[in-house]
Amino acid sequence: MEGITKQFPGVLANDNITFELRAGEVHGLLGENGAGKSTLMNILYGLHQTDSGKIYIQGEKVEITSPRVAVDHGIGMVHQHFMLVDNLTALENVILGIPPRYPPLLQLDSDRARFKKLAEEYQIEIDPSTPVWQLPVGDKQWLEILKQLFREAKILVLDEPTAVLAPSQVIQLFKKLRQLVAEGCAVIFISHKLVEMLEVTDRITVLRDGRLIGTIDTEEATSSKLAQMMVGRPVSSDRTPRPPSKTKKKVLEIKGLYCNDDRGIPALRDLNLIVRAGEILGVAGVDGNGQRELAECIAGMRKPEKGAIRINNGLITGVTRDQSLLGYVPEDKNKTGLIDGFTVEENLIMKTFDTPNFTRKGILQWSAIREAANDLIEEYDIKTPGSTIPIHYLSGGNQQRVVIARELDGEPALLLTSQPTRGLDLGAVESVHKILLKERNRGAAVIFISTELPEVMAVSDRIIVLFKGEIMGDLDGDTADVNLIGELMLGHREALKAAGGAS
Amino acid sequence: MMKRELVKSKMKSLWQTTLKDIVFTSARPVYAIGLAFLVSAIMIGASKVNPITAYVALFQGAFGSLAGLANTCVRATPLLLAGLGIAYGFKAGLLNIGAEGQMYAGGAAATVVALIPLPVPAFLHVTLAVLAGFAGGIIWGIIPGYLRAYRGVSEIVVTLMLNYVAIYLINWLVEEPHPLAELNTTFPQSPIIEKSAQLPILIKYTSMHAGIILGIVLGLILYLLLRYTPFGFKTRMIGQNPEAARYAGIRIKRQILFAMLISCGFGGLAGASEVLGLKHRLFDYFVGGVGYEAIAVALLANGNALGVIFSAFFFGALKAGANKMQIVSGIESSMALIVMALAVLFVIAIGFGERKFRPKRKKDKDSTERGIKAYGD
Amino acid sequence: MEISLGFISDWLSAAVRQAAPVMLVGVGGVFTERSGILNIGLEGMMLMGALTAVAANFLTGGNVLVATICAMLAGGVLSVGHAYLTVTRRANQIVSGLSINFFALGLTNVLIARLFPTQRCRVALYPVLVPERLHDIPFIGPVIFSQSVIVWIAFVLPLIAAWVLYRTSWGLNIRAVGDHPHAVATAGLSVIRLKYVGVILSGMFAGLGGSALVLSDLGYFVENITAGRGFIALAAIIVGKWNPIWVAVVCLLFGVADAFQLRLQTFGSAVPHQVLIMLPYLLTIAALAGFVGRTVAPKTINQPYDPEKI
Repeated sequence: MEGITKQFPGVLANDNITFELRAGEVHGLLGENGAGKSTLMNILYGLHQTDSGKIYIQGEKVEITSPRVAVDHGIGMVHQHFMLVDNLTALENVILGIPPRYPPLLQLDSDRARFKKLAEEYQIEIDPSTPVWQLPVGDKQWLEILKQLFREAKILVLDEPTAVLAPSQVIQLFKKLRQLVAEGCAVIFISHKLVEMLEVTDRITVLRDGRLIGTIDTEEATSSKLAQMMVGRPVSSDRTPRPPSKTKKKVLEIKGLYCNDDRGIPALRDLNLIVRAGEILGVAGVDGNGQRELAECIAGMRKPEKGAIRINNGLITGVTRDQSLLGYVPEDKNKTGLIDGFTVEENLIMKTFDTPNFTRKGILQWSAIREAANDLIEEYDIKTPGSTIPIHYLSGGNQQRVVIARELDGEPALLLTSQPTRGLDLGAVESVHKILLKERNRGAAVIFISTELPEVMAVSDRIIVLFKGEIMGDLDGDTADVNLIGELMLGHREALKAAGGAS
Repeated sequence: MMKRELVKSKMKSLWQTTLKDIVFTSARPVYAIGLAFLVSAIMIGASKVNPITAYVALFQGAFGSLAGLANTCVRATPLLLAGLGIAYGFKAGLLNIGAEGQMYAGGAAATVVALIPLPVPAFLHVTLAVLAGFAGGIIWGIIPGYLRAYRGVSEIVVTLMLNYVAIYLINWLVEEPHPLAELNTTFPQSPIIEKSAQLPILIKYTSMHAGIILGIVLGLILYLLLRYTPFGFKTRMIGQNPEAARYAGIRIKRQILFAMLISCGFGGLAGASEVLGLKHRLFDYFVGGVGYEAIAVALLANGNALGVIFSAFFFGALKAGANKMQIVSGIESSMALIVMALAVLFVIAIGFGERKFRPKRKKDKDSTERGIKAYGD
Repeated sequence: MEISLGFISDWLSAAVRQAAPVMLVGVGGVFTERSGILNIGLEGMMLMGALTAVAANFLTGGNVLVATICAMLAGGVLSVGHAYLTVTRRANQIVSGLSINFFALGLTNVLIARLFPTQRCRVALYPVLVPERLHDIPFIGPVIFSQSVIVWIAFVLPLIAAWVLYRTSWGLNIRAVGDHPHAVATAGLSVIRLKYVGVILSGMFAGLGGSALVLSDLGYFVENITAGRGFIALAAIIVGKWNPIWVAVVCLLFGVADAFQLRLQTFGSAVPHQVLIMLPYLLTIAALAGFVGRTVAPKTINQPYDPEKI
């Protein structure tokens, strides 16, 4: 891809990028969220058209005007979000959209045989007649890859493929990628995770702010060098020194918690947990092991089957609107934490609109609300032209600031955050970490749920690992060993004993 | 003295924001209405009639005389009341297309109360009958409300189906020898209601009844409710993002149920006002499609309560003037239906543009991220 | 009331005849719903088709084939409007459908007054292709063999539709696009085109249904002759779980109930005939209430498709 430039309204997504992929290599595309990686690949796959620049495949210039053309040229893309139709079977999903044949009839038998053959070749165990909604998340990822293999993709683009995989599954994926390139494919591996990049790729291209920063051989790359290329300045991942906590007051106490997920399957089993004032508890684990259910139970949004949750000795029986008790920064800020169609100030008063400050004699006092909103905007450095602007005009980082401002305003005893840095650039990530630390030093109990192990280890005083709804171990943040945590994330409790245990 | 000035300035800013609100929301619908008239003019022209003649007749029929004005108000009343309910439903995220059935239910309930010769002063009798109408609409909303709030079943089809159930229920009620039927008549209808239960006529010798006042007052109340009360805030939250509302501690199931019941109650009011103010009897099939037209009314106003008032008057004027248009220019009165439909179709084709606000900002990291976020990175 | 074989065969023959137009509309409607577009305008498209069929029939001096084609075209044209509004402009699908109904009602009222200003005359009907001798066979004769050709088409169509939906790759695409349009887009197919075709098919068959309504045994058009049949078709699609064959069966059952209640009116009975008329609508509500948990409806129905929100 040569000189690719793509302008979207208000933003230059790709600025004259030149990118080269060699046969038989795994080429990593690294960059922060918003750097332009997905845009570049969407252009390659025909979902967007480049403003200027050319694409050559095997030396020949090509015009990729639609995904169909891309597929014809042997390009396959596995997207960040699943592109699977739940109601159809695995086989039907795989054959969806394959080049038409005459007569346009479904040839299920021959397709099924081919499916099974490919699955066997790459050790993917999926029954083709299973409806997709029944498949576990990891299998869905394999199915996506199988979809591309079915189309005989020679250039395979994977966009953040490891987001939903456990460490052992990631290893399996890397093995399969190696198998693929050995057979003549070329793979483009998009990620923002430095560690994985270093593990599986042959070369790495780093993008920042839509510009190409450089392409280096993986052999010569180091984690800090890559981080610097990604951000443009040296980045430290050291732990911030912190004063020891003053009190030992129990803020959150969970006893014997059992909880089911949306499908009625147990998500949390016999969970017992204590979190004290002035500490940050990091909750590590692969996504989907009960983190969401735990957060929702604590926030009172989900009713447990058994067990009790107490915040400051008060039993949680529903969503608490007492802002001095609990502040909750939810995982999906746009779906849950914010109301897209509301203004900034309306979002800021989402939980406090009927308090005496803002409602007098049953009437909303908009002037008081506006004043309070402006105060918060200033205090939390929310970049917005005003408080009456619809919130969807704000950037993602600023929207997150609105959520944080709202939740911290009441100086809660317990701050619960779930994936607070997801989708944010490194600068915003740093400021979120700073805020967490500040709250901790103020004396709040902070729960920090995250699937990004490096940040959990950098920020937490204490770390627990969730696996299939159970706590695998309770480790000290200063001394925790990343390999041990990795083992616990897979459910290998024995690793604790081997390491001498810690509690 | 300071306080009085403070209150005055608050009133002024309230008026200003309301006016701004109306102007901004109405720009596109007005444009769409204009287009609708244009296209209809072409059709009228194709029938070898001068569109100007036809439109002048239309206008005269609607506004040209006291009788015409009264007619416009009368036609607008059920559209206004039902339209308000539907608009309120929109704000709560509900698509209530059951106004037709709710009008029947409300009309029937009001008739029952209005047929009883209560020994009470007239205004009390009327009030009771009106409340009965509201209750009738609420009853018709229980099933879709419950199913939507507690079972997540879409209210669209449920309310639609209940429309038909209502039509046939009333059909049965006024058919001899069933409870509400008047005996020995050619057309199925109920007996005439008590004089004390009839809505007062506002202008002598016309049919313009107090229902229109009720509608306007309720419209204002609804507008203020949504904007200035916690209950209205909660309703809007649910309409925009129920998941976030749940996160904020709102009991969404209850709130959705209430919203549906209120929305349906207004439909009942519309039916009651037709019976108590205009027809003075429960006729078979008396609603005749008005409930569906009310949906168009609400949509044209983009769900804004104040806008519904104007929108209802527009539709009422169209219907009132259509007869005169037919008499004078020979264009069938059904043309009014066509204009209505075109107006709505153009409105949804054009869409309701939001105030375009593109804040100027330097190209910092945040804007890069934000700009791309919508496109997949 | 005497339940004789004669009564039953008379009743079922009417049921079949009355159900046929609704079956056509319902089966066609499956395609639009599967593609994720809610088409409440089926009523208006059916009405338009009915008028066009009568008008074209009259103006061509009795050419039923031309009338049918014109009816399908009329429904198709209206549905192109609906598709444009809902797919391209991403407007509210319910409002679009309802407005089309109003528009069709207004337009057909105006046109029928122009076409037959003074008196109505009957136009040519669909022929009965089965030879006369077979009509006299007791029971099967009246019920099956004496039906006009359009009724036969109405019974064959669901089978063809089911075959297309479940056995062709296009059918697979349609089934997928209503559930997860982005998956279809990334697979290289055109979501817009699939949706358009789904909507237009439903419009054409709604028009055909309208033509069946007026030309199978009536021969004339009155204002609002469809009287809600388009909505019954919609109800049938839901009760029939978006499967063409089941939808047709449900339409047939509704027709049976409808024909029964008509006869009930003449005989008078304890059960009010209105209850039977209400039955399809109540059944639909019950069916919807029973769909808790696994929903069968196409996932993105009534939601606009935004190609950018991948």
